[in-house]
Amino acid sequence: MLIRLEMELEDVPGQLFKALEPISRYGGNIQSIMHQRERKTPLGRLPVMLIFEIGERARLNRILAALRAMGVRITRIGEREGAVRTTVLLIGHIIHTDVRDTIDRLNALKGVMVSDLSLAMGAPGQESAARMTIVVDDEKHTNLAISRMRRIADRKELLMITSLEAE
Amino acid sequence: MRVILVGFGNLGRGLSRVLVQKASFLHRSHGLITRVVAVVDEFGSVVDEKGLNLNELLKVAEKKGTVVAYKGGKRGKLALKVIDDVEADVVYDLTPTNIKTGEPGLTHIKRAMREGKHVITSNKGPLVVAFRELDSLAKRCGVEFRYSASVGGAIPVVGLAKKLLAGNEIHEIRGVLNGTTNYILTRMSKEGAPFEVVLREAKELGIAEKDPTLDIEGIDTACKITILANSLLGMNARLKEVKRAGIARVRPEAIRLAQEAGYTIKLIGIAKRGSLEVGPKLVPLGHPLAVGGTLNAVTFKLDLAREISITGFGAGPKETSSSLLGDLIDIHRTLGG
Repeated sequence: MLIRLEMELEDVPGQLFKALEPISRYGGNIQSIMHQRERKTPLGRLPVMLIFEIGERARLNRILAALRAMGVRITRIGEREGAVRTTVLLIGHIIHTDVRDTIDRLNALKGVMVSDLSLAMGAPGQESAARMTIVVDDEKHTNLAISRMRRIADRKELLMITSLEAE
Repeated sequence: MRVILVGFGNLGRGLSRVLVQKASFLHRSHGLITRVVAVVDEFGSVVDEKGLNLNELLKVAEKKGTVVAYKGGKRGKLALKVIDDVEADVVYDLTPTNIKTGEPGLTHIKRAMREGKHVITSNKGPLVVAFRELDSLAKRCGVEFRYSASVGGAIPVVGLAKKLLAGNEIHEIRGVLNGTTNYILTRMSKEGAPFEVVLREAKELGIAEKDPTLDIEGIDTACKITILANSLLGMNARLKEVKRAGIARVRPEAIRLAQEAGYTIKLIGIAKRGSLEVGPKLVPLGHPLAVGGTLNAVTFKLDLAREISITGFGAGPKETSSSLLGDLIDIHRTLGG
């Protein structure tokens, strides 16, 4: 099962690393980490969102217990049973057309989240390529995410290459 | 069967060689005796109602660049006159493709049908411009019309769907339908070589034409998707309705990113009712459409059989003559031969 975990960490060095340790110790496969430094809570803690895969519920419980024991505050936890991952490739002036904005626009859709981005920079003045992994709640959201990405790509003159499976 | 060949380039010559080589096989296995009674090229024509000596004709045409040099050859634009005047059962239109007007093939085909001659063509032009018109004209004239070689080269895409899968409803057709772009994408993915280098290499090898725009921009694939939509999905689609992207922006870095996630990039044509599309797609490694080199591949999505995929050589005179000859045998059988 795919778990989405939101937690708050103390803003001291090494906290994130420590928080990830129990996940890998109990066999979790981390797929995405969003570390949102600019969204500090009023108490000065840092929200972090994780997506990871784990085999059984008992292991998940052990991970949660270990995190709590080390003082991590877990704010939200959700199982994403039907979660679907889809890969999209973009070619064009990805940085210059504000890649952050591209990601934010996708993340703004409910049930849709960009979980990974790999970039291959072109030579100066040339086009770059990016591979984006989008995690969505279910098949319906895949179409939603793809059609929004298509609109963004059209506007930013990016060539969007979708997976044959996503059609 | 008496046959007229209009067009004597690579395909016309390839077919002629095969007709010579397979003469006794065709007789023995299919009860088919073919006699090429006229050959037309861009310079003129040669006619012999008793049957031309194809070996001799091939030699002369190779040497002099035209069939006019063969004994009795006549110079001039003679295709329509030959189609009208020479007694024959089947006319092959193997002239070059013009996707804007369909000519000269379109006029040849119509004239042959009106003359009561069956037609076989490899020419995408007339099919893209006027498929419905030609299909109904053939019916009105009571002649057979075959075009297997226009899509997929040697792969029996049309025949497979129309004959062997006839009990199925076809939901969707997807395919790698252009060998040139597939070669370029394969080379970029294997060697990481830049697009321009691979394109130059493809031209030197004769895989890409001097002006490869039709291939690179996905126009050739879009033509084939239009033909498949019209002939197999019963649509009345126009080339301009195909949403199209080519491969010119695909660089080796993009293919590398795809490979890291378990995909390769292929130029895929997709035909389904209400949506025709050509563009680069991420194809999972090991997928039936993830074919390398100049290969073509087609997947049908069907209501009964679910999925059928077929792979083979999409070009080449010998390979394509498999389809051209298959069409002739098919007509022979249809007519009760």
